[in-house]
Amino acid sequence: MDLSISRFWRKKEIIYKLNGAKCKSCGKVHYPPKNACPYCGSRELELVELPRRGKLISYTTIYAIPEGARHQSPIYYGLIDLGVTKITAELTDIVNANSLKKDMEVEATLRKTQEDRDAGLIYYVLKFRPVLVQK
Amino acid sequence: MVVYVEGVGMTKIDRHYDYSLKDLAANAAFAAIEQAGGVDGIDYLVFSSSLSSLQDNQLDTASYLATSLGLRGIKALNVEAGEASGLAAISVAKSLLESHQADKVLVIGAEKLNEFVSSKVYKQLQMLYDGDTKSFYNIGFAGDAAILMRLYMDTYNVDRELMSYWPALMHSNAKENPYAMLNFAIKPDKVAKSQILADPITLLDSYPLGDGAAAIVLSNKDMSSSPLAKISAIESSTGYGSIELSEDPLLFDSLSEAFRRISNIADTSNLDFIEIHDSFTITAMIILETLGLANRGKAAELVSTGYFSPGGKGPLANPSGGLKARGHPLGATGVYQIAESSLQVANKFPGVKANNAKKGLVVSLNGLGSSSYVALVEGV
Repeated sequence: MDLSISRFWRKKEIIYKLNGAKCKSCGKVHYPPKNACPYCGSRELELVELPRRGKLISYTTIYAIPEGARHQSPIYYGLIDLGVTKITAELTDIVNANSLKKDMEVEATLRKTQEDRDAGLIYYVLKFRPVLVQK
Repeated sequence: MVVYVEGVGMTKIDRHYDYSLKDLAANAAFAAIEQAGGVDGIDYLVFSSSLSSLQDNQLDTASYLATSLGLRGIKALNVEAGEASGLAAISVAKSLLESHQADKVLVIGAEKLNEFVSSKVYKQLQMLYDGDTKSFYNIGFAGDAAILMRLYMDTYNVDRELMSYWPALMHSNAKENPYAMLNFAIKPDKVAKSQILADPITLLDSYPLGDGAAAIVLSNKDMSSSPLAKISAIESSTGYGSIELSEDPLLFDSLSEAFRRISNIADTSNLDFIEIHDSFTITAMIILETLGLANRGKAAELVSTGYFSPGGKGPLANPSGGLKARGHPLGATGVYQIAESSLQVANKFPGVKANNAKKGLVVSLNGLGSSSYVALVEGV
């Protein structure tokens, strides 16, 4: 899908605040919010801000890069357990592919994803980076 | 209700730089029409393609195609369900026949994955996955499957080498299939050593970018003369199609439901062969386990023992070579699967044959199971 300003504007609460939806009926949380709960079908949903820290469940290093992002090669991408729900997101600040480990702690950070050269726009999203160990 | 396959046509899947989408569609359609005994009685065209409207900047392709094929005046519509488009189109065609909206339907699936450079196609293929989240990232077409493959190998403690028997089996089958894109054998140890697309998925775990078209002519019983095969049942279901939403991503919920539905209306036991949607090695493993053809976490091991190989104890898996080696021109794939399966039960498949095959199951799905379609093809 091509990116556009209106798409980002519309989704700003979701992609920048990391807002998920909690179902008032079954209690499950999902991300990004849908029009009804994907688990029970209830339309009684409330937006909840998701934790910005989680653990890596699975991950990959992508070399088959889509157009517009080849200069970012390789792309790191992970399935992250935020406790209340799981999300998938690009991973960033990865030194090398071998440093990725299951259960590694990661946190959300704002990063560039694509540029629209014609319009001179830069699009940002939340990616996840390794949490540095406190000494 | 049962519908009959009167004729089939396929092009070899390849890099067809010399032929347009319509040229390939015509090639397959004319072959199917000829086998079905001519155009008389064909009153509907159902056209399946995933990316062609985007690539060719063309809408209402089915109607333009009908006129282009010399069928002006018949009814026509497009069906799009991502990678499952082909089987979705056949499902719609079957409904048209059952409801007597049509007497004889031409179904064509066509796709070109070599019209543009691969990076552009990777971006287009990312459209198969849920755009709500994925569109903001640059993950291409193999990212989600790669995460799933690692999760599978971690969860069940399956090593990389064991996963490599599936691609080797697919290449071995495709070697005999004149319509297959990759008709050469490979040894399992070559899979892990091939180019990495999205670790742990390598080039040989994935499908080749190919161009192709397949067509079938379907009729109801009244119109049927000398059919190749019958389609006894088709079922489908929607599902999560997402590893993050699914509570159990190592099964495809949509496939599980579609298979339960078809098993309620038809006898799915004693399958002679299966043609399943092995877009990646991991997709094949999860399909085998979702269908109950292998225990959970054991599909790769079962494949390595030769259970699904020609002469094995289980149903013969993908005698065509599968998406892996026959090829996967998205919207055409389901039509290839039905065409090949029809030839199998008619004992006319020009490749690896299932011995005395009477019944086969076809599985098609999009992405990681946003939708799944299953069809039972039987001899007549």
